[in-house]
Amino acid sequence: MKYQIVIAGFGGQGVVFLVKVLAICAGNRNIAFLGTENHGMSQRGGSVSCDIKIGEFTNPVIDKNQADLMIALEKNEGLRNLAFLKLSGTLVTNAKDKDKYPELPFSGFAKIDAFKKAERGEFPIQGLNVYMLGFALVNDKNFPFSVQEVKDAITSMNAKVAEQNIVILDQAMRDAKESK
Amino acid sequence: MKQTLMGNDAIAWGLIHANVDMVSGYPGTPSSEILTVVQQIKHKLNLNVYAEWGTNEKVGFEVAYAGAIAGKRTCATMKQVGLNVASDALMSAAYIGNLGGMLLIAADDPGFHSSQTEQDSRVFAKFARIPVLDPATPQDAYDLTKYGVELSEKFQIPVMLRPVMRVCHAREIIEMDEETNFKPNIGEFKRDVPRWGAVPRKDRFPQGKEQLNRIEVIKEYNWDNLLKSEFDKCEGKNRVLVITSGTGYGFTKETLSDLDLEADVVKVLMPYPLPVEQMRDRFKSYDKVLVVEEPYPCVEEQIASPNVYGKNTNSIHQIDEMSKEEILKAFQNIGFYEGENIYATPPSLDFEVEARPPALCPGCPHRDVYYAITKVFKKKKSIYPSDIGCYTLALAQGAIDSILCMGASVSMASGFSISDPDKTVVATIGDGTFFHSGIAPLINAVYQNHKFILVILDNSTIAMTGRQTTPSRANKDIDIKKIVEGMGIECMEHHYSYEMQDNIDFFREVKKVHADATGPTVVVVREFCILDRERAPEFIPNIFAKVDPELCIACDQCTTIYKCPPMAYNDDGVIEIDPFLCAGCGGCLDVVCPTDAFVQDFDYLKRGN
Ligand SMILES: Cc1ncc(C[n+]2csc(CCOP(=O)(O)OP(=O)(O)O)c2C)c(N)n1
Ligand code: SF4
Ligand code: SF4
Repeated sequence: MKYQIVIAGFGGQGVVFLVKVLAICAGNRNIAFLGTENHGMSQRGGSVSCDIKIGEFTNPVIDKNQADLMIALEKNEGLRNLAFLKLSGTLVTNAKDKDKYPELPFSGFAKIDAFKKAERGEFPIQGLNVYMLGFALVNDKNFPFSVQEVKDAITSMNAKVAEQNIVILDQAMRDAKESK
Repeated sequence: MKQTLMGNDAIAWGLIHANVDMVSGYPGTPSSEILTVVQQIKHKLNLNVYAEWGTNEKVGFEVAYAGAIAGKRTCATMKQVGLNVASDALMSAAYIGNLGGMLLIAADDPGFHSSQTEQDSRVFAKFARIPVLDPATPQDAYDLTKYGVELSEKFQIPVMLRPVMRVCHAREIIEMDEETNFKPNIGEFKRDVPRWGAVPRKDRFPQGKEQLNRIEVIKEYNWDNLLKSEFDKCEGKNRVLVITSGTGYGFTKETLSDLDLEADVVKVLMPYPLPVEQMRDRFKSYDKVLVVEEPYPCVEEQIASPNVYGKNTNSIHQIDEMSKEEILKAFQNIGFYEGENIYATPPSLDFEVEARPPALCPGCPHRDVYYAITKVFKKKKSIYPSDIGCYTLALAQGAIDSILCMGASVSMASGFSISDPDKTVVATIGDGTFFHSGIAPLINAVYQNHKFILVILDNSTIAMTGRQTTPSRANKDIDIKKIVEGMGIECMEHHYSYEMQDNIDFFREVKKVHADATGPTVVVVREFCILDRERAPEFIPNIFAKVDPELCIACDQCTTIYKCPPMAYNDDGVIEIDPFLCAGCGGCLDVVCPTDAFVQDFDYLKRGN
């Protein structure tokens, strides 16, 4: 299997957390992977994008026109990184309903206003990353890991907050199915 | 044992598995996690290891170097620009050598992700005439860390490990030693004055000759142990050879496979010193030899031959980090690939998206202090030299005029005060940077009576690189105020206040003192870092803000001068505070808005935020 995922967001949204979750999923199934993370300057609220390449790869960076999936935690951060997604790939993005969103040529596309849901108190904003991961699980039909594998990875990362994160993941998946 | 690790974690484990028991250095992206992880392993496994930050890279290097002279296995870690600071010590150490192994880790940052320069530490190693190892992946980083320590001990010379950001911050499954049987080394200084105290020219000249011999020996070693087998694997496919160093290997392999091309690829693990004659001999079987490395042409310059292509022949990009697209273009340039650019994307996907640069955190005291400084010292009549740290982000507030390198704010304030004496020079520096390299230039300013204002922003942490401990906060309370007073001058002190008027009043006072001064006027502002879990809760008043929409006149004052991230225009054209981002610092309630539209949101916490 070869699957390349870009996760785009900004500092403070927990982009790196998602890379770690996916890395653990791959590790648990003994599949090779290479990921790259953003630390340093990019953490002070600036744009952050991380790559994870699952399967046999020799460098951690996703080049343009190569990603199978992009999970965008915010509208503009998704648009900024579109060049990395191949046309046959899938984009799942958080974007405010009231904002205009362009027509895009990708095979898979799903968008949700996760900010609005967080504002309504449907889930804590700190869980936005996990929420979008759940949304991607439903909307990317080629997603390389099962729901259970993702839950196991979340649990092994930080058992203390795992329960809450799994509730968020389940809710995101329900919301995704409803909005389909 | 298989373990999922980031490159810097892998290096830390490599150090432990190589029995390195002294690690010192200075934080800097992308190297910082190495020492922190060694500290974590030390505590988890209860190991007898010295793993502590130095006040700067030169200090860190020298501590580790002395350890290696005394027979310990040691390591100094830093980012590439840190090596500039440590270079004086390195250049001499490269003549004198060591008994125990010493690994110098200089992490490079091709692409300027978090650095002022894109310099190549491999070239520095070549300049100093010490061997350098260049890992391509976290697995390489682990293996080469162990290898480098052994090599250093074998040749009695510091060895450099040069990981780039895409190795330090890459993550993969690593195969590492099954068990950790850590054996600390016995340190014993053996007096050998002609060696450790070598004087010019009598002792240094022979050491210089030894250095030259040693490099020749290591070249042969490089060929016999690392390179020959790589070349022996080559089959002369398509008469194209790609010589790679570090990440160049992984990028080249993938590009070839993406393009369905075949060529021989050699992975150079030790890019200096290279056995040039043996390598050139093998080049004869090829029409073209392409060198893929980053960021400078370190390998290329050593092996230059008529059929060698690279940066110096303009065949491959000369600046910015590696990408497969650049390698594809290089293949096109040397006539090896004629197909299309598979990494190009349709122009229809290029959206104009507003940049999202990093910013000071909501509630960061630095913001308020800069706001007060620019209120009191007007732009037209001032020069604002600054330094390197989180506070550099106050560039966005128009409160900074120059940035050079750590510590330069103080000496540049001297220079500006001499060259443009009609303006008030207000320099700013963080406490971490002041300890690192701000003290010597301040002594100079007192020594020479340079008239400027220096504001030391003391948040008691090295925030920018991940909140490492500053010297003032570990064993003794090293007080900046007393350091300044020790220079025979006064140090004005102010405790940052969330009531902006207090900060402004203080700087008005500073202005008065400066008017009558003949030398530097030094100020320390006591702050905190909002991400500092230990100290911040003491200081944050939990005064959350909202906007009274009736009062907001959309004047842009808050979004252009104060710039706290939660502030943005809503659909009605008035400012709104993003409740997810507000830190409750109360800083914007006073002065910042001309109509006082920011008001306290008493219900903030009740709403479950
Ligand atoms: C020579 C050198 N070493 C290390 C770094 C990495 N670095 C960037 S900012 C910084 C320190 C900032 O600390 P401080 O001055 O206390 O400011 P703060 O971030 O806390 O506001 C460091 C170590 C560098 N840029 N140059
Ligand atoms: S990390 Fe600390 S010092 Fe840096 S911007 Fe945030 S609050 Fe300020
Ligand atoms: S109170 Fe005002 S200044 Fe402080 S974090 Fe909130 S919006 Fe920013």
